[in-house]
Amino acid sequence: MSDVLGTSTTEQNNNVVFDRIGMTFQTDAGATQAVANVSGTIPDGKFVSVIGPSGCGKSTLLDMVGGILKPTQGSVSIDGELVTGPRRDTAMVFQEDSTLHWRSVLDNVAFGLEIQGVSKVDRNDRARRMIDLVGLRGFEDHRPGQLSGGMKQRVAIARALAVEPRVLLMDEPFGALDQQTRQFIGRELLRIWERTQNRVLFITHDIQEAVYLSDEVWVMSARPSIVKEIVNIDLPRPRPEGTHALPRFRELEEHLWNLVKVEAEKTLGPGALLA
Amino acid sequence: MSTPQIAVKTKHLGAGSVWRRPTFVQWFIIVALLVVLEAATRTGLIVPTLMVPPSEILTRLASIVPTSEFAEDATRTLTTILFAFAIGVAVGIPLGVFLWRIPAAGRILEPFIVTGYAMPTLLFYPILLAVMGLNAGPIILIAATMSLIPIALTTMIALNSIKPILHKLANSVNASPAQYYLKVLFPAATPLVFPGIRLGFIYAVIGTIAMEFILAAQGIGFRAGLYYRELNVSDMWAYIVVVVVVSVVVNGVLTWLEKRIRRDML
Ligand SMILES: Nc1ncnc2c1ncn2[C@@H]1O[C@H](COP(=O)(O)OP(=O)(O)OP(=O)(O)O)[C@@H](O)[C@H]1O
Ligand SMILES: [Mg+2]
Repeated sequence: MSDVLGTSTTEQNNNVVFDRIGMTFQTDAGATQAVANVSGTIPDGKFVSVIGPSGCGKSTLLDMVGGILKPTQGSVSIDGELVTGPRRDTAMVFQEDSTLHWRSVLDNVAFGLEIQGVSKVDRNDRARRMIDLVGLRGFEDHRPGQLSGGMKQRVAIARALAVEPRVLLMDEPFGALDQQTRQFIGRELLRIWERTQNRVLFITHDIQEAVYLSDEVWVMSARPSIVKEIVNIDLPRPRPEGTHALPRFRELEEHLWNLVKVEAEKTLGPGALLA
Repeated sequence: MSTPQIAVKTKHLGAGSVWRRPTFVQWFIIVALLVVLEAATRTGLIVPTLMVPPSEILTRLASIVPTSEFAEDATRTLTTILFAFAIGVAVGIPLGVFLWRIPAAGRILEPFIVTGYAMPTLLFYPILLAVMGLNAGPIILIAATMSLIPIALTTMIALNSIKPILHKLANSVNASPAQYYLKVLFPAATPLVFPGIRLGFIYAVIGTIAMEFILAAQGIGFRAGLYYRELNVSDMWAYIVVVVVVSVVVNGVLTWLEKRIRRDML
């Protein structure tokens, strides 16, 4: 299927390739075509963000890459292998709280490693490093019920990072965080990513965040969704704090905003964003 | 605005210090009840064919408990209860998992199970006695059936109520079926299953003692029934007290367990 793209297998080897992927949900209420036809490539070591109006199928797309949802059309492959189920080298951060409420923070962060059979000493060691990284030191023995929404989300991020995935899939991971924490964790995420050179597929509603973090921003259309435009973020890396103030940053931000606005109006009705 | 209200309420609680010690009040109620019963039985307000004074029950109890007959009865009853409960758990939990796992089976079987819940199963006791004979078998069978129903139902309900995101997570980390059950499903369901397990135990106790009371060769319920029929009121009450004590102890253990589980799981 994927040779349709005309690329040789060696070129695809370290890529995440979407090949005309689509998802139609069948429910009692009828069929919903969430994702229509998405093609694209996340090259090795690239950070790709996805933005698009609410309900356009971003989470659905991520679930298909994570192998927890079978596409009804097309396929996605990672490093030349078709995704047919969850893989050990991908890790997901979900939009909603996914902490295990009966486990301590430490055991939550170590969960992925535990499933992979990593020894207790090793996994606790790695989990503690991730806990430090997301700023939760001192909360190792707390239960999720004793944490704020943003702290729970950081637990989920640490859990995903702990397995050192080759493909990191994040669904609005910073949604529950305040602006300062959001930027802090964002910079930490970039640091980790720059070191590991893995691929990140990052969903966000925040255009500034998408520009700051990414190599490419994919703008999805309203449902049934396609990738309407891929915007290349040609800002130099590493990106220090002042990056937000660069004229090029502003330009990209405005361009993306205009693209998103058109799609949001399609979903919400014309003039919805004028107020 | 709500802060002063909370403050007032706290103060009110502080003032009524007796109410802050429920166990103290509870013991007071028990002692008061015993005193009233003692007085009522001694003055003849309660006739001796119904109840003898608590002090007399206690003296009877003191002479009954050390006998080997009592030891045998107690052993018989406790092992019957434990057997019935063990079967209730061993069958009820997998049955609950099955009903959850195969929703179609759940929809088909649920009405039967709920009916079994509502029905006085012990009516089948005489039939089972005729088939299996006068031994612990029929009692265990019925008590186990009574016990497994709430366990199966709560297991199914608990598994159904697990948030979809936990399934997504378990799936995304590629958990094996065993890991899925042991590390996600069961821990997530336990706080909700426990009340069913507790009910299952209570049903095992009730079923065992009730059927011993009707007809058996041995057991605490059998003795209580025997003395009831012989109009030996004081000995009957002695055995009723034993049943009450067993229930209180069992309930205490289960409450303690449940508290621990809730603390660890929530
Ligand atoms: N399991 C499902 N069954 C049926 N329909 C679904 C299911 N999951 C999602 N959908 C539908 O698919 C569409 C896309 O949903 P999705 O969650 O992917 O949107 P999203 O882009 O992540 O939105 P948001 O930005 O609000 O999170 C929606 O119309 C939703 O109703
Ligand atoms: Mg979403």
